[in-house]
Amino acid sequence: MSAIAKALPNLRPEEMEDPKEHLMHDPLPRGEMNRMVLESMHTTTWKYWTVVTILAFLVVTCLGYAWYYLIMQGLGVSGDNRPVYWGVFLVNFVYWIGISHSGTLTSAILRVLKIESRRPFTRVAELMTAFAIVNAGLSIFMHMGRVWLAYWLIPYPNERGIWPDFHSPLMWDFMAITTYLICSSLYLYLPLIPDLAMVRDRSKGWVKTFYKIFAIGFRGTEGEWKNLHLAMNIFAFAIIPVAFSVHTIVAWDFAMATRPGWSSSVLGPYFVAGALLSGVAAVPIVLFFVRSTMKNMKYFLRPEHFDTVGKMLLIISMGWAYFYFNDYIVPWYAGDKWEKILTLFIEAGPQAWLWYLMLFCNIVVPWSVLWRKKWRQTPWLMAIVGILINVGMYTERYIIVPEMSTINRMPFTWHIYIPRVEVILTIGTFALFLLLYFAASRILPLIPNWEVQEGQEGHILRKIGKAKIPTISQID
Amino acid sequence: MDKKISRRDFLKVAGVGAATTAVLTGCGPASRYVTRQPYTKMPEYTYNGLSTYYATTCRECSAGCGLIVRTMQGRALKAEGNQNNPVNLGKTCARGQTTLEGLYNPDRVTDPIQRDSRGSTIAKKMDWNSAIQVVADALSKNKPDEIAFLMGLAPDHLFDLVTDLTKAIGAAAPIRFGALGMFEARATLVQAASDMFGQEGLPFFDIGNADLVFSFGANFLETWLSPVAQTRGYSQLRRGNPNRRGYFVQFEPRISQTGAKADEWIPVKPGTEALVVLAIGRLVAEANNITLPTAFSNADVNAAAAAADVSVDTLKHLASLFASARRPLAIPGGAALGESNGLQTADAVLALNALVGNIGKDGGVFLSPVAPLTDAYHRPANLKEMSDFVDLLKSGKIKVLFVHGVNPVFELPKSLGLEDAMSKVLQIISFSSFPDETALQSDYVFPDHHGLESWGYQKVATGTSSSVLSGAQPVIVPFFNTKATADVLLAAAQKIGGTLASTLKFTDELAYIQSKLSTLISEPDGFFSAPEINTFTASFQQYGGWWKTTDNRVAPSAGDALNKTFNTSAAQFNGDGDYFFLPFVAPVMAEAGANKPHLQETADPTTTVMWNTWVEINPDTAKQLGIQDDDVVSITSSAGTVEASVYVYPAIRPDTIAMPFGQGHAAYGQFAQGRGANPADLLSNSTNEAGDLAFASMKVSVKKTGKKRQLSRLEGVLGVYGKFGQQ
Amino acid sequence: MPKELKSPTSSANTAQDVQGIWGMVVDQDLCTGCQACVAACSMENNVPFVGEVDAGYGRSMQWIRIERFWQGSYPNIKATPYQPVMCQNCHNAPCEPVCPVYASVHSLSEDLNLQVYNRCVGTRYCANNCPYEARVFNWRDYMDPRQRPELVTLANHFNPDVTVRRRGVMEKCTFCIQRIRHAEDTAASENRDIRDGEVVPACAQACPASAITFGRIDDPTTKVSQAADTSRGSHLLEELGTIPHVTYLAGGA
Repeated sequence: MSAIAKALPNLRPEEMEDPKEHLMHDPLPRGEMNRMVLESMHTTTWKYWTVVTILAFLVVTCLGYAWYYLIMQGLGVSGDNRPVYWGVFLVNFVYWIGISHSGTLTSAILRVLKIESRRPFTRVAELMTAFAIVNAGLSIFMHMGRVWLAYWLIPYPNERGIWPDFHSPLMWDFMAITTYLICSSLYLYLPLIPDLAMVRDRSKGWVKTFYKIFAIGFRGTEGEWKNLHLAMNIFAFAIIPVAFSVHTIVAWDFAMATRPGWSSSVLGPYFVAGALLSGVAAVPIVLFFVRSTMKNMKYFLRPEHFDTVGKMLLIISMGWAYFYFNDYIVPWYAGDKWEKILTLFIEAGPQAWLWYLMLFCNIVVPWSVLWRKKWRQTPWLMAIVGILINVGMYTERYIIVPEMSTINRMPFTWHIYIPRVEVILTIGTFALFLLLYFAASRILPLIPNWEVQEGQEGHILRKIGKAKIPTISQID
Repeated sequence: MDKKISRRDFLKVAGVGAATTAVLTGCGPASRYVTRQPYTKMPEYTYNGLSTYYATTCRECSAGCGLIVRTMQGRALKAEGNQNNPVNLGKTCARGQTTLEGLYNPDRVTDPIQRDSRGSTIAKKMDWNSAIQVVADALSKNKPDEIAFLMGLAPDHLFDLVTDLTKAIGAAAPIRFGALGMFEARATLVQAASDMFGQEGLPFFDIGNADLVFSFGANFLETWLSPVAQTRGYSQLRRGNPNRRGYFVQFEPRISQTGAKADEWIPVKPGTEALVVLAIGRLVAEANNITLPTAFSNADVNAAAAAADVSVDTLKHLASLFASARRPLAIPGGAALGESNGLQTADAVLALNALVGNIGKDGGVFLSPVAPLTDAYHRPANLKEMSDFVDLLKSGKIKVLFVHGVNPVFELPKSLGLEDAMSKVLQIISFSSFPDETALQSDYVFPDHHGLESWGYQKVATGTSSSVLSGAQPVIVPFFNTKATADVLLAAAQKIGGTLASTLKFTDELAYIQSKLSTLISEPDGFFSAPEINTFTASFQQYGGWWKTTDNRVAPSAGDALNKTFNTSAAQFNGDGDYFFLPFVAPVMAEAGANKPHLQETADPTTTVMWNTWVEINPDTAKQLGIQDDDVVSITSSAGTVEASVYVYPAIRPDTIAMPFGQGHAAYGQFAQGRGANPADLLSNSTNEAGDLAFASMKVSVKKTGKKRQLSRLEGVLGVYGKFGQQ
Repeated sequence: MPKELKSPTSSANTAQDVQGIWGMVVDQDLCTGCQACVAACSMENNVPFVGEVDAGYGRSMQWIRIERFWQGSYPNIKATPYQPVMCQNCHNAPCEPVCPVYASVHSLSEDLNLQVYNRCVGTRYCANNCPYEARVFNWRDYMDPRQRPELVTLANHFNPDVTVRRRGVMEKCTFCIQRIRHAEDTAASENRDIRDGEVVPACAQACPASAITFGRIDDPTTKVSQAADTSRGSHLLEELGTIPHVTYLAGGA
């Protein structure tokens, strides 16, 4: 208390932030807030339907038909070859797993750390997690030569008496992703329950029945709230190691291989850093579009939230850069012949522009933009930064998967990889992601209303001398 | 074909147990005819899992390698080398391995056909009786001097039969030709032997027993003469003697597959091989303190070095190698013979061998053993004779032309004008099994069986030290409605009647072959002998031929090889282009492999290109011309122009460009047609002194077309060339 | 190396009881790069051809590839000795533990790497992890006559002892295991050991230069063991500790 008082005289009143800029200090009546969220769910314009139609068309053609074609023709229609057995499908896989970290981090970590500004946008991020894992799983299935036998990866008792081989990193991967999908779906679902109950109470007909089922009879009793908080706390703590492990295991798919460039012990944390970077960078993009296209969202999603994400991005970008150059310089220092050639190939080979694009997007852009609070609080700029970082991270995965596997220890087989049907399927997966998001935005309350309200309850402006100082009282 | 005996019956007669899987089945005389049985009447030996093996002869080239073909349930499954056959001792080349893709080729001519018009693919099927009638009419209604036969280098039994037939009707003897023979310059080799040793015959180079080999352009590990046997010799040269590893130097303007195995590659300027040989000879004589023989007295070492673009020191180094070797051997061949002074080069190389005294000695030069059933080696027609033949056709004197086993429209230089000449012939009858270019220009195609469905024999020209007759027998029932050409001719002869019928009074092809083989029963030194012809034939089939167990190479006398005089001028070149043009036979595909998909997909050993034709250009030259890999260039000689993609080849002289022969088919089935370019289109009909085609005597110009067509390579360009190229 | 032979009737145990580690020696000094082994292997093992475009894109499916590089530049240029590379049948095979469905497995009795075609789901991890790039993938249905009508006749020469693979399946050199099995069966029915030289894979059988020797490397008296035991011998990428069963004898002098 005294520390704040000491700091205050340095600021003149006009220099002080208006506390109303913060959502937590700008409360509205609960009924009004519920109405605003419901309105945002119920408003659909012709623009919305046009985009949904286009997305649905893209999903049917670029994902549905193209995948059918891929399955029927075999992987010959993709760009894979020897030595690049793993192409864009694996890039997509790693990328989507990375995106899935957005929800986990922004939600679970911020929740665990009790960062208050997280409250309105955790759901936006958690939804991304669920849909991104769906896409990651699809990418793996697309990648398989005989996808119709994919169930052989499931350890179930069968007449052949064969189990999957748990020595294989792919099995670890399979297990980790399944766990992650289940955990993150539950973690998405838990905080949804009070909001679903809220929607249930304000709808009628079959819609009410729908929400009734998913609200599992939540009525807001003391006991229910207590259990909910407990469950959420458990999940918030539990999902962090799951999320970290899932991307470490994705990294092990590569790190366990004997290939130069891949077999590196730093790959695990490096992949986690990369996943966080792309995942968190995806948050401002979604925030920006949700804020600018959906009704009433400017109230909930404010520059301060972009600011929070921006700070995180800056730190993560630095962490990523540390790991990246670690992964880059340590093998170089080790002096392995093939690692050296690989390094040269990446930075001076026929696809070197990808490397420079990656460095620009992942280091230059965040480091130069995110220093300034004003820029961090500019939503459109943050969206652009988010997009660029995602381009950079996609490029980074592209460099790690097809480009690194171009170089192996048998130079006679070095062939350049050119993606073919993968491009279309990638468009398809992005369309699917967006389509799911568009659908969810009209089915689920995108703002965890009760969390916001709960936060606003705890935030009060306390008068200290002449100044009104924002203070927080602990609720749980 | 009134009496048909199935293999099943034969097996009962022969008493061969069905349980034996690795048995070499000698089809006795009773098994002459084979019929296909329905599955419900499956013979015992077609049980699942049991194979039957038949010995026969490979027909992919004329070397006469023995094959053992594994069959199961009436299908040929795998061609393997015949370990007994002295030519290949159980080994095969890639072409031999893929011979089954010829047998089961989807583009084979399945029935006798009559074309609507020449060059048209529309044709109507005939039955064999009317086909035989057509042949009989052609033979009887035309005057003998209006009938011509053009035959390939294999099979020999058919050539013998046609020779007998032409003799009987008083027609000109059949002309024999083959692209491999053309690129091997066989006439030059034979002429050189006769020049230097005074003895006719195909030279035999004992690579295996030498300890130093100088090869002047000879691509003996690729398609030259008898590649499998020569590769065996090479293997012996390197590792046959545990105490020494034979040394091998290759003189040629580009590194060929053979050159890639050499310890030293000397990129001599095209046309100067003879000068280099003579210069080395002179230096060898000086090093060994021999009085300088006449043959090498004209040689001017400095001038030769300058002309050949080789340093004098290199020549001295090579000469000292040659002079100090225990068993040095020099081999002439390849493009060195296909120049205007090719014979002189061949002569000079033989003289160089004579100088070190290796004529008729182990590791030296012999004359190849004379095959059974023949008095001497009869070489195929050289280009001069082919040119005369084309002129004869052009004159219109020939009314009917029979073609078998050769595809001259594709193989001969276009400038010879064969297609034009063929249009002057009233009737052309092709016996080709495949829809090749020549068959396309015929009025009738009466398809012969594939080699693996045929009877026959091949007189082995060279490759082994013993005299070999490789025997062929059908390993499966004919797959399509084809008929042995020998049977067609014999049946036609019977239809015609008269002296022809009585001369060729054989019931079928096998009877004819037996009549030939009967002379061998009493031959001494045979691998096997038999009291009478039927038993002999059975063994002949079982072992895949008959050969002597002795060394039948002829050791010629060096004669006055060293007293010949050579002139010391380089070869003459045609055309005014900037670059020497070096066509070479594609090592894997050779002249007729283009219709076999697995051969197409087998990488060329030096460039690893698959499925197409490439042009080899030195990187410096390419830079000068602004050409990169995969750029399509047009190559123009005085005879024509072709277009092909560039392979920037680091191991070729900057003043030379090279191109493989074997692709560029206008017909020949789905795998060959419309693929690549044919370097024969660039060749003039100029010849060397022995009348062989001077195929390496063109100078050409190269022009960028601006198009790009990517060559399919096995190698990753990234890892082999350029910044990331590894060694 | 005497061994107890089961009678052929106890067939259930035979595969486990057969001993013998198979190995190969390739003499690069003798290899002339003639590609006879490549063709022989393709014909024996029903290896499909993939056509010009796919072949040039790095999808040719031959189980052996013959490598050559260049040393120096014109005029002092030399081709490195031809090096046929096939599956090295490593003792510590990196391809095996990474397969999630046990399609790439080790034969304990013969120390061979086996590929179970009908178990393969096509994750391609094994190929990715093979340091020799010896594995090839069926990118398309190269063997389906419905898609390739030319196979209707060509397929007549297919070897009935070797499975025809469909799209999405990984495959590799098997050391002609069908020939090994055949010899094992023959030897078992005659109640004897397999003789040295009794098993000859298609590549060794064809090789005109006799550059390939095959046999049991657990028996020091065999030709292959003796051939491997020279100062010229080395293994590919020995430093990885895969313990390959193919020994290369250095080319050149």
